[in-house]
Amino acid sequence: MNLALTEMKRSKLKFGLLIGAVALLVFLVLFLTTLSTALVTSITGALNGLDGQVLVYSDAARDNLQASRLPPTVVAEVEKVPGVAAAGGVTLGTVSAELLDGSGDLQLVGSTAGEPGAPTGLVAGELPARKDEIAMDGSGYALGDEVTLSEVDRALTVVGLLKGSQFNASPTGYVVPAVYDEVVRAANPGVPFVPLNAVAVAVSPGADPAVVAQQITDDVPKVKGYVKGDAVSLIPGVESITQTFGILVGLTFVIGIVVIGFFFLILTVQKMRTFTLLRAIGASTGKLSAAVAVQIAVVVIAAGILAVLLTYGAVQGLSTGIPVTLSPVLVTGTVGAVLLFSLLAGLLSIRRISGIDPATAAGAR
Amino acid sequence: MTDDFVPAHPDQPGLDPAVDAGEHGDAILSLRDVSKVYQSGDSEVRAVSGATMAVEQEEFVSLLGPSGSGKTTLISMIGGLLSPTSGQILVGGTDVGALSSRELTRFRAERVGFVFQSANLVPFLTARENLLYVSTLQKRVSRKEAQKRADQLLSELGLADRAKNLPEQLSGGERQRVAIGRALMNDPDLILVDEPTAALDTQLGRQVVELLAREVKQRGKTGIMVTHDLRMVQYTDRVFEILDGHLTHVEQPSALQH
Ligand SMILES: Nc1ncnc2c1ncn2[C@@H]1O[C@H](COP(=O)(O)OP(=O)(O)OP(=O)(O)O)[C@@H](O)[C@H]1O
Ligand SMILES: [Mg+2]
Repeated sequence: MNLALTEMKRSKLKFGLLIGAVALLVFLVLFLTTLSTALVTSITGALNGLDGQVLVYSDAARDNLQASRLPPTVVAEVEKVPGVAAAGGVTLGTVSAELLDGSGDLQLVGSTAGEPGAPTGLVAGELPARKDEIAMDGSGYALGDEVTLSEVDRALTVVGLLKGSQFNASPTGYVVPAVYDEVVRAANPGVPFVPLNAVAVAVSPGADPAVVAQQITDDVPKVKGYVKGDAVSLIPGVESITQTFGILVGLTFVIGIVVIGFFFLILTVQKMRTFTLLRAIGASTGKLSAAVAVQIAVVVIAAGILAVLLTYGAVQGLSTGIPVTLSPVLVTGTVGAVLLFSLLAGLLSIRRISGIDPATAAGAR
Repeated sequence: MTDDFVPAHPDQPGLDPAVDAGEHGDAILSLRDVSKVYQSGDSEVRAVSGATMAVEQEEFVSLLGPSGSGKTTLISMIGGLLSPTSGQILVGGTDVGALSSRELTRFRAERVGFVFQSANLVPFLTARENLLYVSTLQKRVSRKEAQKRADQLLSELGLADRAKNLPEQLSGGERQRVAIGRALMNDPDLILVDEPTAALDTQLGRQVVELLAREVKQRGKTGIMVTHDLRMVQYTDRVFEILDGHLTHVEQPSALQH
């Protein structure tokens, strides 16, 4: 005979509606968070996924990779800075290409496998080692497919697939530097050299990336070094996306907690006569509070399961063009946080219960 | 005064409880000079003053008195719901007034069966569940035992076929009987019943009181029934009357007219 569960069984509609309402709110939290993570990853993934702990841009680039132009000779200069173990150039630009779904823009990244600056998001195949190879993220490519770069009219074979490595939320292809150079030279004949956009740096074991970044800024003229994480958060748009979604998620979360807290407070107030009776016949405040806590836990867990199913369905049905995945850490973290804060909100009810004077059950006025 | 039952010192406070208990023989319940003063704002209401009584095992007594005379207040103190302003209440040797609120909760769960004046049942539990819940308040009863006891009580109370009904699906008399079953469920020393017949017609009222009397006798309990219905006192062994907070033991209840 469990008081809390028996009551829920008897009032299926009431608790069902509450579970539904809470499920929708948890769903919103999960969905918004998943979406914002996907959005941010699609913008930052490429940069974040580059091998190395420090990135170097030209000092005139105003923290923007795409505006950065560095002479290829800078790699050797950076390598001489104390604390730098290895350095590699990274080139990046938008090119037109024949993709699976017709011609369109492709973010083309040139870097050398095994050197700093190579992508780390490989999920299948390998990184390109030759001039007729490319590794792709996005647009549903499979190993062995072909991508034709319009500027040079050359077909490259897809030898690797990457995930979370997109730039600008667009299909992104990784090639050896020579292919990238070729494309640039085809579009701009007569350029003296193809500039690098960035130099990626692997720091020596034990060296502090922040110190190394500063050292590079100090030692090498006309460049600025960044710890990779800083460079990522300086990508235009990232901060505003993170903030906007943060506010939405936070608000939804708070509303969810308030709904649960107030609903159970109302339920408790409605049951005051019953609780008073139970106190009078010898139920302790703790036992009655536990009953409220059990109900809150059941509601939140049931709502959590429902919300995960809803989110999963929504993610499957979503066609955003950017890869969206539901993270188990996010799910358990969110449901756990809702549960914790709901139980705290349940203290409102428990305060009412602990204030009961059992004598009033006897009705001595 | 009530000196014919409590032979000595009804108004002498501060006596050794051991001495007192000896003088009452096997009294399960003894009250000595118990008073309750309600403080409401600036005014004081003296609901019970200097009540002294003793009730023995297997005794079923009635407590008569007009509305507002202090009946509920008195049995609330006996049942560990209210603490007396002064005086001493002993239930089976336990000084109820000396218990902490945690101990009082346990005392109510294990020693007392209370049938309240109103609102006796949990609305979302069936008749049977209302009884079973009581057993979850004590550690010593197994689930099986509890179920057996609940079913037995329900059938004694003529409610076997009503066991699965919610309170709202029961008549007033049935509800009252479920409440009696609930009060008996924890096998208490004391059964306190506040106006069991108020909401019932005479016929049903008699049935309920007869049943109470039978349960008290059969199970060797001590029972106190509050009533202001003189016709019900014939089922009880002795009658106490309370008037304006003053408790007396009376021989001739039929002489009382309210
Ligand atoms: N909590 C309280 N605060 C102040 N006064 C109270 C309180 N409870 C009861 N009283 C007063 O104490 C007196 C006795 O009340 P009590 O409820 O014990 O009477 P009763 O004999 O049970 O009456 P009834 O037959 O109407 O149930 C009344 O005057 C009542 O107004
Ligand atoms: Mg009363």
